[in-house]
Amino acid sequence: MATLDLAQLSVRDANERLRALGAAGEDVDLINPDARHHIGVGLTHPIKVRIRGSAGYFCAGLTDGPRFEVEANVGWGLADNMLKGSIVVNGNASAIAAVAIRGAEVVVKGNIGSRAGQVMKEGTLLCCGNANFMAGYMMYGGRIVILGNSGEQVGQDMTGGSIYVAGKVQSLGTDAQLIDLPHDEADDIAQFLDRYGIPFKGTLQKIVNAGKKLRYPRTEPRTRQVPFFMASGAVSGYWNTKVQEDIFIRSQIGRYRIRGYGASRALPHLSDIGFRKNVTGVQHDRDVVNKVKLATEIGGRTGAVPIKLSMPVTIAPMSYGALSKSTKVALAIASKLSGVSENTGEGGMSDEQRAAADQIIYQCLSGRLGWNIHDMRRANGIEIYISQGAKPGLGGQLMAKKVTKEIARIRGIPAGIDLRSPSRHPDVLGADDLVIKVEEFREATGYRIPVSVKLGAGRVRDDIKIAYKDGFDFVELDGLQGSTGAASHEVLEYVGIPTLSAIQEAMDALGELDATGAAIRNMPIVLMGGVKDGVDVAKALALGAYAVALGTGAIIAGGCIACLQCHVGSCVVGIATQDPEHEKRYNVPVEAQNIHRYLESVRWQLAAVTRALGHDDVHQLSRDDLVALTPEAAAITRLPYVPAAREQAPQRTTFRKAS
Amino acid sequence: MYKRSGADAQVGKSLVSMLDGCQHRGPDSTGFALYHDAKQGELRLRFFVGEGPHADMKVEEIKTHLADHNANILSDERAGTSYSVVVHFEGDVQKFSYDMEHTAKVFSIGESLDIIKDTGGAHDVDDAYHVRDFHGTHGIGHVRLATESDVTPDASHPFWATGFTDIAIVHNGQITNYYKMRRRLEKRGFAFNTSNDSELIAVYLADKLSQGRTLHQALAQSIEDLDGTFSFLVSTKDEIGFAKDRLAAKPMVMYETDDLIAIASEEVSLNRLFPGQALNTTEPPPGTYRTWRRSI
Repeated sequence: MATLDLAQLSVRDANERLRALGAAGEDVDLINPDARHHIGVGLTHPIKVRIRGSAGYFCAGLTDGPRFEVEANVGWGLADNMLKGSIVVNGNASAIAAVAIRGAEVVVKGNIGSRAGQVMKEGTLLCCGNANFMAGYMMYGGRIVILGNSGEQVGQDMTGGSIYVAGKVQSLGTDAQLIDLPHDEADDIAQFLDRYGIPFKGTLQKIVNAGKKLRYPRTEPRTRQVPFFMASGAVSGYWNTKVQEDIFIRSQIGRYRIRGYGASRALPHLSDIGFRKNVTGVQHDRDVVNKVKLATEIGGRTGAVPIKLSMPVTIAPMSYGALSKSTKVALAIASKLSGVSENTGEGGMSDEQRAAADQIIYQCLSGRLGWNIHDMRRANGIEIYISQGAKPGLGGQLMAKKVTKEIARIRGIPAGIDLRSPSRHPDVLGADDLVIKVEEFREATGYRIPVSVKLGAGRVRDDIKIAYKDGFDFVELDGLQGSTGAASHEVLEYVGIPTLSAIQEAMDALGELDATGAAIRNMPIVLMGGVKDGVDVAKALALGAYAVALGTGAIIAGGCIACLQCHVGSCVVGIATQDPEHEKRYNVPVEAQNIHRYLESVRWQLAAVTRALGHDDVHQLSRDDLVALTPEAAAITRLPYVPAAREQAPQRTTFRKAS
Repeated sequence: MYKRSGADAQVGKSLVSMLDGCQHRGPDSTGFALYHDAKQGELRLRFFVGEGPHADMKVEEIKTHLADHNANILSDERAGTSYSVVVHFEGDVQKFSYDMEHTAKVFSIGESLDIIKDTGGAHDVDDAYHVRDFHGTHGIGHVRLATESDVTPDASHPFWATGFTDIAIVHNGQITNYYKMRRRLEKRGFAFNTSNDSELIAVYLADKLSQGRTLHQALAQSIEDLDGTFSFLVSTKDEIGFAKDRLAAKPMVMYETDDLIAIASEEVSLNRLFPGQALNTTEPPPGTYRTWRRSI
């Protein structure tokens, strides 16, 4: 038995020591905790840890296997995402106890705060006292046992799992119902209580999902497809085939439509930016990629191991779930071949994807779907998703056809539901909470892995400043033109801020934080949302982005026909599907090569433009290289308006209707 | 708040140490609302003047305008970015304070209230203003992470209830019916000096108090009237209180003994007052409020 004294050690040092003691199989007594945060975070050995006092936020968070005992109280997020293992708290637990657990046994002898068991998937939360507001909020599985009173709105929007209440059920949440308690479950709970030495003589009431909100009542009828390219840009302005199709389908289903892809309407974009110099002459140099320094790094701001990119390009986050495993593997292979990074998106990390990619960023979302300590540790970067450009402020949607057994297993949810991810994180309800969350990730990974934030462009100026103060290593900034696997049409078209405005506001914000430009250098912006080729990449970099992410472009290179039916689940080319018959059509090695060649073409374009502008390093690109081709783009970027430069632009613009 | 009669406790030192304990929540600025002994006919004012020659001019201007309002300076002090002054004043304080606001940003006016706030951490502000030397019965404090308004001393908490003496507030959250509530109060002649929603809570409560409601009643009504997410603390000459929204989105934890009531966002701050002890704390349920009065 070792003793660690938090009056002498920082939590960071204590957690390092705990992990070493865990590896050695030695139990630990932790004294003078004084309600400090992150105690025991990231411990993955089955040792016993006694905390002699109160613990703060995320006690025992992101763990697998240990048995904790806390003498007094704990703060928010007790046992966050704990896999196996247990924790017994002798006092009270604050809000979101047992948040996102996946198998752990969490016992609180006092009362529990609000939203206990939010998005939990498997395991048991036992509260011997009273629960507070919204216990079991959006839980997907497992059980909550409350020996006191339930609190208001118990089981609010629960999807799966069970809640048992011995005291008064104060009020039921939306889509929750009381049912009779089966005998075998009563016996199971009695055994559990016995195991933890909890005396109990009362009777339990059982609360489960009422099944009214798990599926959309009517599905969209199939019609002839209108591809994205026939409905976007200048042609999307008013009545067109797509508008007609939308009206027809809404007349059948009586609600908003869901579709894939991003905003189709014409918006000021990178195509409305031109170069000050004529760059058309460079195309004859076949060897230009060797004449320009393209390699770069992101993520070293706080001393973590940075992600190394052979060019300032990454693959945008897209989930396994929205996309087939084959597609994710092809993207991973291509990212490795081109020396860039892949990104898991929402649905967790598959072994195949991890093996195929050289560097992979692992995304943490509100529902904590597929999120766990082991995959965090084998990631090269961690990304906390706050929102995305296509649907800022909303959670993801994955329609039932794609929620197969395999997808449900990796995400820890019931199969066959229309999955709507929560719109916000259980434990991040403000910028101040986010600071504590980021620290938890750093503790869990020993400060070795960069932690970034994905922001859908909204109030960019404020958000970027918050991201900087919260200490993120880099930011993935996503504009309105970003695509998604499923969102409502109205949100895709009308909610968000265009990519061009987003990067400009981000640069303004970082400039306001530090006039010397130190903030811009410290926290790189990875820009995404309609970046389609190397010319766009050059413009994005010149506007201040440090790198970009390509999503739609990579998918199209890998065979996507842009039919907008990503959400349906029967993608004809095997990309946006989980149906094995459809997925068979996707030839991984061939598509991986296609995506790789596309990325190489991006590299060549970027090098060629950079060289033509007179630079030998992509990071020398600056606003001085750019002009605005439209008054709107000039107003957004404050670049000089030089319509004459349109003649030497390497491609036509889409904002102005071609005559 | 130290509850015992005639308490002369180290309120300043306790607040500095509690705020240092949760500085991770707000690295931008730190502030304190402290309550001195009130003396008949005397008012304490603290102004934001900034630094350098411009600040010197500002101070001279303030002095001139104080004289214009027959406020005789009894003592004054420059510290950090602010200028504090004790005056003899008898008249309409609300009108006086609205007028003074045209001269310089007023942090606080009160018979006993003094709001000290500046950019930087708890120890930075303490070093500049010697908050640790303050003894008394009660006070509130705040660390701020700016989300929407600027990082400046005047945008920091605590907020004074502009125009109403001795009422201060600290707030975590966001009042979503801010403009609606503000317009209602403005129609009735109240002035606002910031666009910060926390100032609104202070003025809202002060208005209720001036209509003869108790702090307890005002807080009860605030949960009905204010939309959004909030956990806030309010202090007056003799009382402190809290209110918490119905969604319980913002943290709050408290520890009470016969001698003291301490409230913070996190237990780690409370433990700063009692290192090495496991405290028997409680968390206020959503939609609740409470007040405490000091013994006089």
